[in-house]
Amino acid sequence: MNLILIGMILALLIPLYEVWKDDDIWQTMLAFSSVSTKTAVMILFISVLRDDWMIGVVGVIILSVGNAGFMLLAHILKRMGDT
Amino acid sequence: MIDSYVYVITALLPLVSCMLIFQVNPYHALVIRGILGAVTALTYTVLGAADVALTEALVGTLLAVVLYTVAVRSSMVLRLGVLKSAIAGGEAGDPQPVSFKQLTTDLQTVFSNHHMRVELVPYPNREELHQALVDKEIHATCHSSETCTDHQPYDITIRLPRLYDILRAELASSTAHLTYMSSSDSVSAHSSIHPSIHSSVHSSESEEAHP
Repeated sequence: MNLILIGMILALLIPLYEVWKDDDIWQTMLAFSSVSTKTAVMILFISVLRDDWMIGVVGVIILSVGNAGFMLLAHILKRMGDT
Repeated sequence: MIDSYVYVITALLPLVSCMLIFQVNPYHALVIRGILGAVTALTYTVLGAADVALTEALVGTLLAVVLYTVAVRSSMVLRLGVLKSAIAGGEAGDPQPVSFKQLTTDLQTVFSNHHMRVELVPYPNREELHQALVDKEIHATCHSSETCTDHQPYDITIRLPRLYDILRAELASSTAHLTYMSSSDSVSAHSSIHPSIHSSVHSSESEEAHP
């Protein structure tokens, strides 16, 4: 199980490298959405691993609310590009 | 007994914070702040503080980033007051408004290097334009000049010294005449202070006219 988690952490490094390398704001936003979803799924995985429902509920909330915040941020950035 | 993956997840935190610190573009930095919030929530959860992780995700990732984006968007902007006729003429395609369009493009290029936007604020006539500048509604005005229309068809009056310095140093293909207006409503003598800019602009204009 630890090996699966280490693999997930390595997958988390891919969008971080993309953020560090790329200059386009939308690439950064894509990396943000990727990191946000990956961390939420990791939280869910850890909650199953530890059989801890409290952590699981937090993971579900982060997964759903994170997408809402992402859409808000994308909308503000898009209006900035229009004007 | 702490599992080994906890150390690896915790090591992500300084990595992302260093990326945040060394980012110069404010919008990129805000998005990386969101990434930092996600990684922090993961770390808190792994260490067993689910309530702190929830707060971090809601406040750190959602609220702070969105509010700061609104703040940065509304503060890092040059409000340039223009006449309504200048904008309307640009759509008609007259030769002079084409150079106005070129001028606004140049301004946007200059200020995008400083991560700023240029927002055009239209006013019906020159009196209201000047009054808005005095009342500090706008940062600068741009209108067609009464004198020396051949070489510099536009006058830009700026009331903020920092913006004036940026424009004086970086507005390269200038068809505009820069003027700094101090807050005491006295227009300083621009042409005598910076004769070199005038001569260079004149020479480049004449080269274009007579190749």
